[in-house]
Amino acid sequence: MNRGPIVVTGLGAVCGLGTGIAAVWQRALAGRHAIEPIGLFATTTHRTTLAATVPADAPLLAGRGWSNAERFACTAAAEAVRTLPAAALRSARAGVFFGSSTGALFEAERWLSARLSGHEGALAPLAAQQNDGPGTAVARHLGVRGPVATWSTACTSANVALGAALDALRTGEIDVAVAGGADELCETTYAGFNSLRAVDARPTRPFRAGRAGLSLGEGAGVLLLETRDHARARGATVLCELAAAGRSCDAHHVSAPEPGGRGAAAAIRAALHEAGLEPAAVTFVNAHGTGTPHNDAAEAKALQAVFGARTATLPVTSSKSLVGHLLGAAGGIEAVFTALSIVHRLVPPLAGLEPADPALGLDVVLGAPRALPERNVGLSTNLAFGGNNAVVLLRSHAP
Amino acid sequence: MNGRDVVVTGCGCLGPWGIGSDALAHALGRGEPLARPIDRTAGYHRAASAQLVAACGALDLTPWVSPQAARRMSDLSLFAVAAARMALQQAGLDSVAGDRTAVAFATAFGPGGFTEQLARQILEQGGKAASPFLFTDCVANAAAGQVAIDLGARGANLTLCQREAGPLLALEQGATEIASGRADFCLAGAVDEMKPLSHAILDRFRALARPDAHGTGELPRPFDRRRRGVLAGEGATVLLLEDEAAARARGARILARVRATARAFDPGAGRASFGRDDQGLAAVLHARLAPWLAEVDAVVSTASGARHGDALEARILRRTFAALPPVLVPKAVHGEYGGGTLATALLALGGLDVARPAACDQPDPALGVVPVHGRVQAHRVLCSALAAGGAAAWTILEVP
Repeated sequence: MNRGPIVVTGLGAVCGLGTGIAAVWQRALAGRHAIEPIGLFATTTHRTTLAATVPADAPLLAGRGWSNAERFACTAAAEAVRTLPAAALRSARAGVFFGSSTGALFEAERWLSARLSGHEGALAPLAAQQNDGPGTAVARHLGVRGPVATWSTACTSANVALGAALDALRTGEIDVAVAGGADELCETTYAGFNSLRAVDARPTRPFRAGRAGLSLGEGAGVLLLETRDHARARGATVLCELAAAGRSCDAHHVSAPEPGGRGAAAAIRAALHEAGLEPAAVTFVNAHGTGTPHNDAAEAKALQAVFGARTATLPVTSSKSLVGHLLGAAGGIEAVFTALSIVHRLVPPLAGLEPADPALGLDVVLGAPRALPERNVGLSTNLAFGGNNAVVLLRSHAP
Repeated sequence: MNGRDVVVTGCGCLGPWGIGSDALAHALGRGEPLARPIDRTAGYHRAASAQLVAACGALDLTPWVSPQAARRMSDLSLFAVAAARMALQQAGLDSVAGDRTAVAFATAFGPGGFTEQLARQILEQGGKAASPFLFTDCVANAAAGQVAIDLGARGANLTLCQREAGPLLALEQGATEIASGRADFCLAGAVDEMKPLSHAILDRFRALARPDAHGTGELPRPFDRRRRGVLAGEGATVLLLEDEAAARARGARILARVRATARAFDPGAGRASFGRDDQGLAAVLHARLAPWLAEVDAVVSTASGARHGDALEARILRRTFAALPPVLVPKAVHGEYGGGTLATALLALGGLDVARPAACDQPDPALGVVPVHGRVQAHRVLCSALAAGGAAAWTILEVP
């Protein structure tokens, strides 16, 4: 069934840079990062002290017993769907496709901590402790009656969810999808990445020679997707198209990427094939770019494998430089940034002034936003534990 | 399905019944809950909490996973890798390594045991005590990743978490990978482990049946008037999916065809409870599956003994069928979670003798569903999954 292009008609964001697209985008273009000392929990027993957390006074939706991740998810989703009539959501023709890797683990830690001390912690947030908590909360909050599913593939979760939403829209199961991801910072994740020596003691420096690891973040990124006909019928403003998704697995190691980037390259090629595009059509890349030495090197090799000599002039950025690594929500917030780049024809720079690592051979956007041509295809990539690779392609809408 | 026809050519399963479909069939034929005491020594449980679990116990998985490899895995990953290898074996395939082999799993809680150990290390000894080994295998997709590594499956690697609806959603996702032409093989199914902490938390939400004064109330009683909650379980069921034409071309034995799927959500459900919108859910089921419902001759029900969940399921089934086909309630035997319903559906298509669980001998007249007792030889099975939180999924499997 050919239902025409799947279009993006709404965006929502919650992250360390702010709440709401306008605030987040303004700060992103300024190359500001949100990576600061953690106030969410004590860092005295951890190896590092920084992360990009959502400010405690952020204007988030709230409900009784909601976890942080549920608040992020519902706030971002509400922003994304604000132009859509409620009736279009309260329908079996609308679905929610979400990614999350930790659910409400921060609240679960608090409960367990109390239990280990012989006390009984608050039970309500544990209702959302499972990884489907944020996505299910969005579905409940919006009154959706169609398919609702949560993918938990670590750092690729939201990109996988976007791909599943694309499938559901293309096959005619639904007309509208709310898709993205949400994750909250917690001590288990923070200590876990530190145990792998994967966290930079300084704000993360993706694709720089001195890169020493990632910075964790938290938040949500949500896209409103529709069939073109549905968007037209309601007179919606189309921001861009979700052209394709590509997935693969390294089948190499539980946590380390395949050093040659072959799996990531396969996912990119799959997306290009699905979209019917040649590599030359891609005008910029919002890379996974965690800032760990091995990830960035493997990802650079994947880009080299797909784009060849053109890699040296293909603008590459990494949203993680600004908002940290949102784990299961990374694909969501990064797809939001990618869509905004297409809308505004600007690629935000990485934070910081250090030069790019020449060994990677990438054209890393540094110092100031990079202007884009009139029509664009943006590639957003995510790599994850389990050797999981998932990418999405967004492109300018051709009315 | 849109696109290529998708068939099941292999099934690997393990659970409280033991290893393999024959052992599951035997357990369903006996009709007795596979319950054993839960380990309460960690102190997570309250005094009046549920005391039983449908745990796997000590299974000899060495034919599929070497002890050396098993030591590097959570129970979740171990179950998944073993079940995946069984599925391959039944499908008559030595290898599915390559870019066109996908994995699509569901898990409700992920590797809860490793996550608990890691969290305790951090909370009790500080962040620097965190074990990198525990951390890398405590993500929900670790099991799917381990299967990919073990089998060389380099296609899409997908893990769904949608509580009780997960197994059918994963099957749908896996079938989509095949139908769309993105993959030639997909290992699809569900895997769960049930550790004391997860069990104790489920109990706090009153999801589990608790003992009564007679010592019998804790049994799972799907559709029974005395139902008081579920029996938490664990296990893994992995199906090998492939394109029907390709399967026939290689002379594979086809166990079932994935005929159609449906997904829906009830926004009136609570965060940890079932909804009540049988009308809305049944409407989606009917809209998506109507062409095939008339010839459904068995239902593998999601009913688990949950007070409201079973009632919702019963109302949906009554809205869907003028005359109910035989209804199987495998969760009365193997408990909730672990994907045993997927294996049961295949058994029903192949012919299965089931005993109505003794704990279900007083069907709730308000529900109007009586679990089947006797021989089931189905040609088309409706599998149902309703999740706490509101998600729902259905799949029709048929004899090709």
